[in-house]
Amino acid sequence: MSTALHAADATVPGTEVPRLEARGVTVRFGGLVANKDVDLAVGSQQIVGLVGPNGAGKSTLFAVLSGLLKPTAGRVFMDGDDVTGTSAQKRAARGLARTFQHPELFSSLTVREHLVIAYRMKNAKSRIWTDLVNFRGFANSPKAEDARVDELIDSLQLGAIQHRPAAGLPLGSARLLEIARALAREPRVLLLDEPSSGLDVRETEEVAEVLKSVVRDHGVSLLMVEHDVELVLGMSDAVHVLDFGVKIAGGTPAEVRQDPAVRAAYLGEEIEKPAVQQAESEIEQGELA
Amino acid sequence: MLSYVLAGLGLGSIYAIAAGSLVITYVASGIFNLAFAAMAYSVARFYYWLLVEEGWGIVPSAAVSLFVFAPALGMFLYAVLFRHLRLRSTLIKLMATVGLSVALPPLIQLVLEQPTNTQAPGLAPRPLDVFKVFGSTINADQLATYIGLVVVLVVGVGLLRFTSVGLKVRALVDSEALTSLSGTSPGKVSLGVWAASVTLAGLAGILLAPTQGLSVQSMTFLMSAAFAAVVAAKLRSLPLAVGVALLMGVTTNVLEKYIDPSSTFGAVIKPAIPFIFMLLFLLYYALRGQAGDLVAGGALDRAIATQGGDPSVVSAVAGGGSNRRFLNPGLLAGVIVIGIFAMLPGMLDKFWSGLLAGGVALAIALLSYTLVVGEGGMVWLSQITFAGGGAVLSAELVRNWGWEPLVAVLVAAVIIVPVGVVIGLLTIRLGNLYIALVTLTFGSLITTLVFRRDPYYNFGSGQPMPRPEYATTNDDFTYLALAVFCILAILIVNVRRSTAGLAMSAVRFSESGAKTLGISVVQTKVLVSGLATFTAAVGGGFIAMNAGSTLPDSFDPAVGLVWLAVLVTMGARSNIAALIAGALFVLMPQIFQIYISTDLGDVPTILFGLGALGLALHPEGTVVQVGNNIMSLYRKLFGRSDPDPEAPVPPGTPGAALPDRDEADNPLLTPTARGGSATIPAGGQA
Repeated sequence: MSTALHAADATVPGTEVPRLEARGVTVRFGGLVANKDVDLAVGSQQIVGLVGPNGAGKSTLFAVLSGLLKPTAGRVFMDGDDVTGTSAQKRAARGLARTFQHPELFSSLTVREHLVIAYRMKNAKSRIWTDLVNFRGFANSPKAEDARVDELIDSLQLGAIQHRPAAGLPLGSARLLEIARALAREPRVLLLDEPSSGLDVRETEEVAEVLKSVVRDHGVSLLMVEHDVELVLGMSDAVHVLDFGVKIAGGTPAEVRQDPAVRAAYLGEEIEKPAVQQAESEIEQGELA
Repeated sequence: MLSYVLAGLGLGSIYAIAAGSLVITYVASGIFNLAFAAMAYSVARFYYWLLVEEGWGIVPSAAVSLFVFAPALGMFLYAVLFRHLRLRSTLIKLMATVGLSVALPPLIQLVLEQPTNTQAPGLAPRPLDVFKVFGSTINADQLATYIGLVVVLVVGVGLLRFTSVGLKVRALVDSEALTSLSGTSPGKVSLGVWAASVTLAGLAGILLAPTQGLSVQSMTFLMSAAFAAVVAAKLRSLPLAVGVALLMGVTTNVLEKYIDPSSTFGAVIKPAIPFIFMLLFLLYYALRGQAGDLVAGGALDRAIATQGGDPSVVSAVAGGGSNRRFLNPGLLAGVIVIGIFAMLPGMLDKFWSGLLAGGVALAIALLSYTLVVGEGGMVWLSQITFAGGGAVLSAELVRNWGWEPLVAVLVAAVIIVPVGVVIGLLTIRLGNLYIALVTLTFGSLITTLVFRRDPYYNFGSGQPMPRPEYATTNDDFTYLALAVFCILAILIVNVRRSTAGLAMSAVRFSESGAKTLGISVVQTKVLVSGLATFTAAVGGGFIAMNAGSTLPDSFDPAVGLVWLAVLVTMGARSNIAALIAGALFVLMPQIFQIYISTDLGDVPTILFGLGALGLALHPEGTVVQVGNNIMSLYRKLFGRSDPDPEAPVPPGTPGAALPDRDEADNPLLTPTARGGSATIPAGGQA
């Protein structure tokens, strides 16, 4: 996959103010506490992982961060500004984009049209009204738009299906389309909900490379929910672990790997496997030598 | 006061039987039965036939009607229709019941003929006995209504709560798939539910006929009023539905004590009470975010549900995105059909050219459904009311201000637009089912409050509405209407291909996805509502100009259901389908009456209804279906091989093959994620 993706405005890494921050976020659904007093921050050009078992409250937290759900308590900040009360639409305008655990695609639109509408919402929003009076619906797309859409389609290898409607796409293609659609908005912060689910090993590695390039070259910040723990620990600058809505650990991947609570409750075998494999490999090499 | 309350309880009991039946049927089958009024009419008509025309006694007539005819009808309808609908999209379910509501009454009338007297006797012997209750009087019909409600509640609640049959019904509601896995036959249970549902509808119809008349219109008004109680019950709570229905009945009658029903205000407020109740509950639920559509069945049911099925989705997918190319087969077909319509006026005599002009005028109004249902994916049942509004208002502008008719039609349409926008804003957070209920009730209300009141009604002929001076002949008027149709059709194509069209599709299939792209759901829905309302109102003005008068009865919501049935039968997303549907709606009854038999004038209506029923099998509509067949033939004959949008994705497409790694061992993966072949159904959910 090509990594030639456009930039959001590049921000200097290590800026004091996080691009996205949750402070004391609590979400209750009746008697059920989905998130309890969760703190989390995503700095500029950072990749932050969010892990936890099913039902840990990860998707709820994503909904709060993206503005689709109002928290019962706590605040959400973007670039230091309190955005708790603002809509998903306004947060999108501030540079937040996201994908979903179950892809939220527009069934009757083709793959290409998904990217076109995302691009226009960022770069030509007034066309929702102006197209109606100047009949641009009958005109060809602007060259800059075509070039950007083509670039994204090439990057995520969607060329073969670019004119197919989204209805009926395989899950893997649907995930890539969601990522491409989010990138078409040239976001500053990108929330990814299980981006590798439905992809094979090779496709997962390629998506990881695309995401790393987006962060490295164009200053995007990533917050990623992912069940592939190795992918998260391998990519992230920081990792947070949720359990029953409570954040039980947070820190660098190395710190999280060593956290006894995390190892015992969630990552035990997942963490141990590579270590065991490495040891076995070393023994084998020693034997061969 | 007591006499007002008792009389109100009588009306409320009929509302309650209707509302209770709608709730029980919805809860037990997942289908909101918009054909309730048609069923009520059919059973009541059969009862009337036995009792009055065949001379049977009340008891045998009622027994055969309610316990033989009604259950048999319910079981027949389940076998041929309803069993195909569970887990279909809300739009398909609603359209199928709309089709049934259109086809059933004329089918019954074809067999039993129109009743000679719409004031039918009820379940009480004539002359009516009168009873004194706490100093107030009630008649035997009222007493029969109270008893009917009590029997329905006792038997209904008793069966559902305390019997194994009730347990099976409730299990079926939660998950048909799991219920069948436990050894229960969902088919047999549903068969019983529909048999009971038609019996309840029939009981409501028989009880209503003595006071409201044995007509489809009176039954439709009853159903619309009962919707308020159903909305209050959030489609599920039987006690709340019955309670609110009784309260509405009592409120309606008690108000008569304080407000003179013959006064202008009294005449307005009484029919508006159900709508006011509905509005209050809707606002309450909408503000609490509790008014979305309920999802039928459990997770397993959804997983095995038929994918797609929504007419406009299917047609959009069938188009494979090619409909946004400038030159495509659809455009060619459109040019040919419009060309044929343009040639017809010169070839027809005055009678048929007049009908053709009416068909093209109607096609303009039908384009509003193309916008709101086809593009917006919203089931609005009030488009005919906007058309009526356009007709009435433009006639007033011509009559009182001497405006040129075409200018009056366009200005009236602009004036009507805010009404549609307000309805759009009110229903913005609602699911499709609620939107259908609200818009149908709104249509009934406006029909009662405006169209059927003088000076607009004028004994049914309405107000005069002349054609423009340059288009007084049928041929000239057809060309004018066809020109306006083409302009609006081009506007709709422009909308579909524009950024607004992309945004509409986005909002329609995933509001969450759309919001996170920065698309305003409110802006998009207001845009669809406004454009569709304008189009409907222009169509209404043209219908009035063609007839030379507003003819308010032609804008009854019951007729609107037929309009919609015809349109979706032809194709919900095709402009050409709207043109053909308009012409068929006007021409077919005359063709049947003149060339086949005068007794068969209702057969086209039955066919329109049956066409809508067929949506469950062919959601794309006849026009698109025929078009696809022609294109297939063309490809076969000339060896063309355009990409098939429904063909399997090319090899190498991400996710097309099963993942390489052994995900079954990963406890953190969801079942959906493990299934490499999982696809996205039409709703946008994986």
